[in-house]
Amino acid sequence: MTTLYLILILALGGAALAVAAFAWTVRSGQLDDLDTPPRRILNDELRVSRPVDDAATRR
Amino acid sequence: MAPPAADPTAAPASPTVAPPPIAATGGCAHCGAPAVAATAVDGLAFCCTGCAVVYRAIRSAGLDAYYQVRDRALPARVTDRAYDELDDDAFRRLHVRERADGARAVTLYLEDLRCAGCVWLVESTPSIVPGVVDVRVDVGRGRCDLVYRADAVPLSTIARHLDSLGHPVHPYRGADRDGARRKDDRAMLLRMGIAGAGFGNLMLLAIGLYAGWFTGMAADERALFRWASMLIAVPTIGFGAVPLFRTAIGALRARRAHVDVPLAIGIAVGLVWGSVNVIRATGEIYFDSLAMLTFLLLVSRWIVSRSHRKAAAAAELLWALTPRRARRVAADGSVGEVPIEAVAVGDRLRVRAGEAMPVDGVVVEGRSSVDAAILTGESRPQAIGVDDAVCAGTTNLGAPIDLRATAVGEATRVGALVRHVEELSTRKAAIERLVDKVAGRFVFVVLTLALITTLAWGGTTGVEHAMSLLVVTCPCALALATPLAVTVALGRAAGSGVLIKGADALERLATPGRLVLDKTGTLTKGEPSVVTWHGPAEVRGWVAVAERGSAHPLARALAALAPDVAATVADHVELRGAGLTATVAGRALMIGSPRWVGQQVDLAPIAAALAAIAGRAETPIAIAVDGVAVAAAGITDPLRPGAAEAIARLRQLGWAPEILSGDDPVVVAAVAAELGGLPHQGGVSPEAKLAHVEAARAAGPVVMVGDGVNDAAALAAATAGVAVAGAAEVAIEAADVYVRNPDLDAIVRTLAGAQATMATIRRNLRVSLFYNSIGGALAIAGLIHPLLAAVMMPLSSLSVLGSSLRSRAFRTTP
Repeated sequence: MTTLYLILILALGGAALAVAAFAWTVRSGQLDDLDTPPRRILNDELRVSRPVDDAATRR
Repeated sequence: MAPPAADPTAAPASPTVAPPPIAATGGCAHCGAPAVAATAVDGLAFCCTGCAVVYRAIRSAGLDAYYQVRDRALPARVTDRAYDELDDDAFRRLHVRERADGARAVTLYLEDLRCAGCVWLVESTPSIVPGVVDVRVDVGRGRCDLVYRADAVPLSTIARHLDSLGHPVHPYRGADRDGARRKDDRAMLLRMGIAGAGFGNLMLLAIGLYAGWFTGMAADERALFRWASMLIAVPTIGFGAVPLFRTAIGALRARRAHVDVPLAIGIAVGLVWGSVNVIRATGEIYFDSLAMLTFLLLVSRWIVSRSHRKAAAAAELLWALTPRRARRVAADGSVGEVPIEAVAVGDRLRVRAGEAMPVDGVVVEGRSSVDAAILTGESRPQAIGVDDAVCAGTTNLGAPIDLRATAVGEATRVGALVRHVEELSTRKAAIERLVDKVAGRFVFVVLTLALITTLAWGGTTGVEHAMSLLVVTCPCALALATPLAVTVALGRAAGSGVLIKGADALERLATPGRLVLDKTGTLTKGEPSVVTWHGPAEVRGWVAVAERGSAHPLARALAALAPDVAATVADHVELRGAGLTATVAGRALMIGSPRWVGQQVDLAPIAAALAAIAGRAETPIAIAVDGVAVAAAGITDPLRPGAAEAIARLRQLGWAPEILSGDDPVVVAAVAAELGGLPHQGGVSPEAKLAHVEAARAAGPVVMVGDGVNDAAALAAATAGVAVAGAAEVAIEAADVYVRNPDLDAIVRTLAGAQATMATIRRNLRVSLFYNSIGGALAIAGLIHPLLAAVMMPLSSLSVLGSSLRSRAFRTTP
């Protein structure tokens, strides 16, 4: 029974922490844009294939 | 979607290797659409100059990897503007923020942001344009947050770079609105997360309690679990259900039936009665079921709100693009900047080159060209002069012009579009109103039954049974039935290229009636081809070779006769509107309209063939070799393969298809005959189309399918309007459905899908009412067991969920 009290308190504490962390992610805007990051993750390994080239920006 | 480049070392070599694989298909090197030889650059063919410019820009900037990650290939659009206005002080004051570290931040709207490839193209800017510090895009909003050093690079240079990559740049004016939205969205997400966490933890405790019910459990342990459940349930469910309570109270005050009323009653009663039972250490608690119900409701509402947002975003962007300030020309000729709200109809305004029109108006001075792509989809600039009308939101490209305002603010075409879309997204479908009405009766019936139960059983038992009745009949499934089925259907439809604006459009498409088709684009291929050939086979090759160099649509059809034949061509002379002469393989060819060819050679040898061709409403072509008429060809815009089957399928679904077209009556009649004698009418003016649709509506539902600007009125007048691919923006806005690929099959899918969705909704409603009647009856009889309630309540919601997901609507494979 004592163990149960302890475990219950620990579990609820853990859950409370998780909820607090979630609230923080929402408030800090990490979940504002759910469309772009799943696309951006595909681009991690892409590289610009040439060094900076001024010609590209001139008309 | 193509997998990302696994090997980054492969990329540096790409500028010298062969172009991306798409060029191998023979289409446009950038987007894969049919290419026109005239736009060929460096041996690569493109479909338009936009694609050619973007392709070169991407390759010269070393962004070739784009072609590996993009998931949609569409023709590109560039405006070739100088963007000098972005370097203006006026622009800087309005839109550019100075940051503490000396850099500047600006929020821009980029056109055509769609996929992973676009994200990468734009976000690579810092490594390509020196002076750009950081770029972040938001694909859903078309928004781009840019940080740059003004001493290293002017904003116009960055804008030109983005433009050359196919993403024309506009100032972003929706930031305030985004801020308000963001607050709502975050609150919703937070509620959902907390309700979800509460639900998960309550489930764990509930499993312990139910297991204890079977195997035995010490009373103090049971009490501990019940107290813990209460501790979790009251704050999480209470917090999660706040919006439900709010709507329910609002509905009660306004004496309106709303599905949230029974939900709020069920949840509130469950929370209060459960807590009472915990404190008095007897009776049932329903926290686990209530938590699941709240969580499911919040999830489904979040999904629905997200899809509404997406639908509204496109139209609102137009609004965001119209300027907030205008230059007013006073009577004495002086020019002063005023906020857009101060502009009245009749005012004279000056619009400089590169600026967007602040109002709808008529040009009173100056000549220029406008880019109206955002409104009409037409990417070529249109020339404008005195007395021409222009629309707010379109961009003045050429020179300064003076306008007289004819409509301002919400009265402009853009304003009307935005209002229209907003109305669409808030308007409830009839079936949703039905659900509200059912919910109203439901509350009355359940409360009456609860009262009777209390009195009939009497005392504490009576209260207990009445309370469990109220909780068990909480109509979660009823509330989920419609939105879930609709959202699943709209999502699937969008995935297959059919965009449907909201539940009520879906509902209006579900009742069969008359289906009015505009022939062009939906029934035929949209490009002419040779369907009749009369003459020797060798002449086919010569004709094809002779016509190869010409861009005329009929010439392209003839050139397709024998695309692989090679022969020498000399003395190629083209006569506009008549035909051409050429010497192919040493033979003198004359190809053209019979009238023109007949002036120089005797057509008698092919007269019978030409008559037959004309009789079938095909365009006749006469061919003479060395001064003798030897061959005849009939060219027409042929039916799409499968058009006849699609018509049959439509009839099977209960629709009566008919053709109503502005095309030549003879051609329309021929198409109708080929499709098995459809009712048809050719040479119809837009006004007559509108009148026809309105008259037909009196007799029953009418669905109109069209694509032209002229069809907009008829599309809006129909019970439901369907715009097909390539349609003008106005037609798309006026329509309830936009079909991305212009064949009849997609329309059949849409109509069949709408019927299937309505069937799913009706099934969902039946299922949820069935569960509620059983649960209610058991509760009244005092037979409801907590475990039974715990199984039944989620089961009803899960059946509705399953039934919505299982729906055949818009499935690609039946």
